[in-house]
Amino acid sequence: MALNPLEQFVVKPLVPLQLGQMDISFTQASLFMMLGVVLATALMTLSMRTKSVVPNRWQNVSEMLYEFIAGMVHDNLGRDGRKFFPLIFTIFMVVLMGNLLGMVPYSFTYTSHIVVTATLAIGVFILMTAVGLAYHGLHFFSIFLPKGLPIFLIPLIVVIEVISYLARPFSLAVRLFVNMVAGHTLLKVFAGFNVVLFGTLLGNTLGILPLLFNVAIIGLEVLIAFIQAYVFAILTCAYLKTVIELH
Amino acid sequence: MSHTPDELGRKIREAQERQKQLFREEKDGAAEDSGISGKGFRAAADLVAAVFVGAVLGYWIDKWLDTSPWGMIIMFFMGFIAGFVNIYRYNTGQYFQVGFPQENEQKDKEEK
Repeated sequence: MALNPLEQFVVKPLVPLQLGQMDISFTQASLFMMLGVVLATALMTLSMRTKSVVPNRWQNVSEMLYEFIAGMVHDNLGRDGRKFFPLIFTIFMVVLMGNLLGMVPYSFTYTSHIVVTATLAIGVFILMTAVGLAYHGLHFFSIFLPKGLPIFLIPLIVVIEVISYLARPFSLAVRLFVNMVAGHTLLKVFAGFNVVLFGTLLGNTLGILPLLFNVAIIGLEVLIAFIQAYVFAILTCAYLKTVIELH
Repeated sequence: MSHTPDELGRKIREAQERQKQLFREEKDGAAEDSGISGKGFRAAADLVAAVFVGAVLGYWIDKWLDTSPWGMIIMFFMGFIAGFVNIYRYNTGQYFQVGFPQENEQKDKEEK
């Protein structure tokens, strides 16, 4: 049971609730999402309470996060992109907190569930379509029709472009989900090797190997937690850029 | 350690320049995801996503127009093509460009 590497992803209700036919139980996923929101808010507000010119450690952290996303938004969307900053910063913090909270032992990684990542990605998809329509009106649909195309290729290319546009939220969701599931499963599998090897004759010497490997993987996982949050945010920026600039 | 104001100003400017360069390099490095495995994950996700979306679209078209199984077969392969187009764009640094940029446009982008 404890050796099942996928068991960590099971959603367990903490407070069972029923609304009509719907199960709206407060699960450990809900708990960790709330924890993520509370921690992110606390980090950003409490650390900026003193607002000193020479920042202390916490203020430094929140300033770095802010400048990182602000720079990213500015590089991709230019000055006019500032109105998207709150959204992209929020997305970044939600994903980052989910990934990092998942690295705490016995915790639950809510970004390892495709329901969560797909909801975020579909939100981004609806937003970018709405922004495109708001900026360009019906001219927005020229995004599916590259310039200078031979007439007999139009049906083919338009279908391909539509598919690649519709695939955006899916690849956004799958990328985050796959990275998280793969990493956590790998950790659990090697932890299982550890337990098994300690039971063998040479356990004391051989058993140390998966442990060492796991230590390295945990380092990598923390890196991936940051990278995936970054990728999610920068892809959101880049997608918004394509619909704002069109070609 | 004592510096004249001029010297100090020069030192600060130098340090700022260094910092800027370092920051830029870091960002350029991070844009490549995380090396080869990051690239692989990206390509895999893009390909799977496009194929999946193509197949689902084909399934809907079949249901709607009652053309089973042709819609799904054709759209599946269309999705495959779209996936490879996405990977090609990503690998040639055109990222999320829609369509293929004209020669001079691409040069403009590079100059930027």
